[in-house]
Amino acid sequence: MSSLYDRLGGAKAVDAAVDLFYRKVLADGRIARFFEGVNMEEQIAKQRAFLTMAFGGPNNYTGKDMREAHKRLVVKGLNDMHVDAVIEDLSSTLRQLGVGENEVKEVAALANSVRNDVLGR
Amino acid sequence: MALLTYREAVIDIEAGEDVLSALLRAEIDARHSCRAGVCQSCLHRAVEGKPPPAAQEGLSDAQKALGYFLACLCRPETPLAIVPAQEAGDRFEVNVQAIDRLGGDVVRLRLEHGPDFVYRPGQFVELIAEDGLGRHYSLASHPEEDSFVELHVRLHPGGRMSGFIAERLTPGRRMCIAGPLGSCIYEGIDPDQPMCLVGSGTGLAPLVGILRDACRRGHRAPIRLYHGVREPHGLYLHDQLETLACERENFSYVARALSVPPPEGGDVAAAVLERETAVADTAFFLCGGERLVTRLKRELYLKGAPLKQLRSDVFAPAS
Repeated sequence: MSSLYDRLGGAKAVDAAVDLFYRKVLADGRIARFFEGVNMEEQIAKQRAFLTMAFGGPNNYTGKDMREAHKRLVVKGLNDMHVDAVIEDLSSTLRQLGVGENEVKEVAALANSVRNDVLGR
Repeated sequence: MALLTYREAVIDIEAGEDVLSALLRAEIDARHSCRAGVCQSCLHRAVEGKPPPAAQEGLSDAQKALGYFLACLCRPETPLAIVPAQEAGDRFEVNVQAIDRLGGDVVRLRLEHGPDFVYRPGQFVELIAEDGLGRHYSLASHPEEDSFVELHVRLHPGGRMSGFIAERLTPGRRMCIAGPLGSCIYEGIDPDQPMCLVGSGTGLAPLVGILRDACRRGHRAPIRLYHGVREPHGLYLHDQLETLACERENFSYVARALSVPPPEGGDVAAAVLERETAVADTAFFLCGGERLVTRLKRELYLKGAPLKQLRSDVFAPAS
């Protein structure tokens, strides 16, 4: 059985998903405030890295980076509800792209695995 | 030529080794993060040689055409001379051919250059007046049509470069340019895809270059150019662009001065957002001040424009 990343379509799948995913996140009233005033280009590079990790692709994503990157947001009130919202947006992006439910679940689980790092716990 | 040259220094690279590892081993503090070709923070540019296609995965068509690549994915097989992505690279001597006032406080500089300076319309250069005095300006000229490069310079009261240009620069003087830089060019565009060019102030300069390039390459779909300024006299190519809009069926020009009340004047971004409805299929070029570019990019993206169709060039104020 090929890896999750290969089944999803590798780097091309990340490319296709990042556009839809980041648009959903920016338009999501529950979490949009955390993205105010950020540089879109840098943010998109980060989202690509996040998606690659969540798709089970090659990455050097570390818990330390995750903690550092979200520290400022935790101070601003980032909590479990917001992580849920991101995972929801990610799942609906994948469904929109025609990804099967099993893969959607696997991606959601990988995304969920960094929850504690993101929230600095 | 050595297999890897970085800012003119030869770097030792082993067989099969990637460029990023070689740079780090040579104690060069190269920006990087994921080391897996994803984050794109190790973006570099080849000033000589052609990077392998595998090192350009995920980059835009314009970046690929201009020799940008990811150091972490790059295992060179033929010699490469590289610089960090934001660095201007080689300097070229130029000769001031003409200095002319356009409208408002905008001056047009035409500089003659030698055959080794190669660029694409819409890119920018660093203009170096003297040591420690360099500024970025976009190119409004076309390399296949002009024997000079053309820059549009807005004169800022009290600005160092402005003072130099207004008071000391005369035709015949020699100066240097470095570059070219930037990837806001006519590349990866379908001739039947509508184009929308938006510029504020001298953000018009690269758009003129891109417009000329699009016409030369036989772009068939509509091209809409928006120019936003504070005062009407800042519409420094108004007559030429109006004439062109009459002559060319597929070209239209919208001018907006903030000091003039709508509908004739007002905010150029509002005009773009109101008129551009088919955002998902349009090739956008956004050039000028940070506030305008950032705002439009975000709004157009949220309206459904794909990221790779939002090309932009932010004019940062001199620090």
